[in-house]
Amino acid sequence: MAYIKFEKIIKNFGDTKVLKGIDLEIEQGELVTLLGPSGCGKSTLLRCLAGLEEVTSGKIYLDGTDITDMAPRARGIGMVFQQYSLFPNMSVEENIAFGLKQKKVPREEQMTKVNRMLEIVGLDKQRKHYPAELSGGQQQRAALARALVTEPKVLLLDEPLSAIDAKLRKSLQLEIRKIQRELGITAVFVTHDQDEAMVMSDRVHLMNEGRIEQSDDPETMYARPVSHFAASFIGNYNLLTDKQFLAMTGIGISAGEAAIRPEVIHITEKEQLRDDAYYCFSGVLTGSVPHGNITRYEFDCAAIPVHVDCLANEPKHYTMGAEYGLRVKKEDCRML
Amino acid sequence: MRKGSKNSPHKGILPSIVIMIYLLIPLVVTVIYSLFRKWTDIVPEGFSLGAYGELFANQEFVQSIGRSVLLCIVPIAITVGIILLAMFATTLYFPGLEKYVQMICMIPYTIQGVILSVSILSLYVSSKTFLSNRLVMLFGAYSVIIMPYIYQGIRNGMRTIHVETLIDAAQMLGCTKLYAFFRIIVPNIISSVIASSLLAVGIIFGDYVLIRNLAGTSYQNMQIFLYQTMKSDSIKASAVFVVIMCITFLIAAVTLYMNRREKNRK
Repeated sequence: MAYIKFEKIIKNFGDTKVLKGIDLEIEQGELVTLLGPSGCGKSTLLRCLAGLEEVTSGKIYLDGTDITDMAPRARGIGMVFQQYSLFPNMSVEENIAFGLKQKKVPREEQMTKVNRMLEIVGLDKQRKHYPAELSGGQQQRAALARALVTEPKVLLLDEPLSAIDAKLRKSLQLEIRKIQRELGITAVFVTHDQDEAMVMSDRVHLMNEGRIEQSDDPETMYARPVSHFAASFIGNYNLLTDKQFLAMTGIGISAGEAAIRPEVIHITEKEQLRDDAYYCFSGVLTGSVPHGNITRYEFDCAAIPVHVDCLANEPKHYTMGAEYGLRVKKEDCRML
Repeated sequence: MRKGSKNSPHKGILPSIVIMIYLLIPLVVTVIYSLFRKWTDIVPEGFSLGAYGELFANQEFVQSIGRSVLLCIVPIAITVGIILLAMFATTLYFPGLEKYVQMICMIPYTIQGVILSVSILSLYVSSKTFLSNRLVMLFGAYSVIIMPYIYQGIRNGMRTIHVETLIDAAQMLGCTKLYAFFRIIVPNIISSVIASSLLAVGIIFGDYVLIRNLAGTSYQNMQIFLYQTMKSDSIKASAVFVVIMCITFLIAAVTLYMNRREKNRK
């Protein structure tokens, strides 16, 4: 049986239906991500698991126990919030020890556990500092230590890195993942950032309008989106309707839509077009935008805009306004 | 050039000095008046701190300070307790009711002391319960009068922190909502609570109407003592006034210090 199980979870706020019958299973020791745009219900689902929101109907099981109506403090779940939510009147050390004090853990044991956590998150030197004296990254690490010190059954992370700058966010993503693996704790991570979901997760649950749109490992989620929403949210897919596809390639498809990742399209000379293993078409180069390690080229293919990503260090120079051949392996073209 | 002089930061100094002199003259004159044994027309004779010595040697005066302090502490404790509980309930359970709490708390701004005291007397004086006790009436009246100030202070304090998420975090760490409110939220707004309480002390210290109407001379606090003293000895009355003024200034200084500390901490 799954370690965490959501069974037909419905959550309404007044007349607004936020969660529309979520069925979801999470295995022990996994780090899963609830990914989706703002307002899709991912944070609400997390708060329902934490007990901070009551479900309208449905059941939540943790380790085989029905926790649907349990108080948050009785669930044995730790949580890290977007705004850190460290207690401003307590030092880092006191913040981390707070949960242990509530559990009436003996003082010596408290100190041992707090010291270990401070060491894990690398805040030993800041133990006496107050939250206002810490940087964003340090505050988030303190919040992580506070949530982990009570050894919860599950760790919930509600967009914990969204208020942190890009460079620090990347290092904290890896740090959180490392700590989660070291402790072997089951973790549920909420984010709207697909890159973050890809980097951190064992499994990604993509949510849209209160429903789970797709559940897969990050690689499959990226390579094989199952719907228009998944393809438009993950990666930067070129989404072509059947008519557009026909106009572009001259080949009809039975699916309603074709999704092509920009990095699987190859730019060739126009004469090299024909190949049975490929869908081949041509387009006029209309623009290029550097994105660090890649350059994104924009082509006009029979009045249909198509994006193509190439590694920035490729020693090729394309002429603006020139017509090029474009081809994509048939197996890389995802029919939706 | 002309424009520069128009926006000069020194432009307001002269009016400020004039206003300060205008406000300070009565206070300074009162202090000077209380420091001499005898006045012939406007000429003082015999510098002396005797009036202050006599004052603090007078048991009634010392007791009146104690009564004034008691009259401050009890209503402030009652009001702070009620407002905190109301804010707890409205913030976490009934956010829609906050505007009504605000409305109720603002009403005392509009009530004149005379009207309040007459209303309280006509309502409770014939009551057979403890409510007819003059001291209880005073506590109640002061609790109502200081309510807007305490409410504003606490509300402003709560706006500077993320109350809901802090309580969520505390709940996840094993607290109930009520415990989290008093263990986490209240310590974080304590400077605001203290600042508004000190403001309330200033208001209660400055009141004469309510205590005169509700308790008469049967409960002699500093204001009543001042009133009684004015009838017999104007120099001593000036000394009483100076003591009250010093206490009020002290309260204002502590309030400013607390506000500054709060700002620095944030």
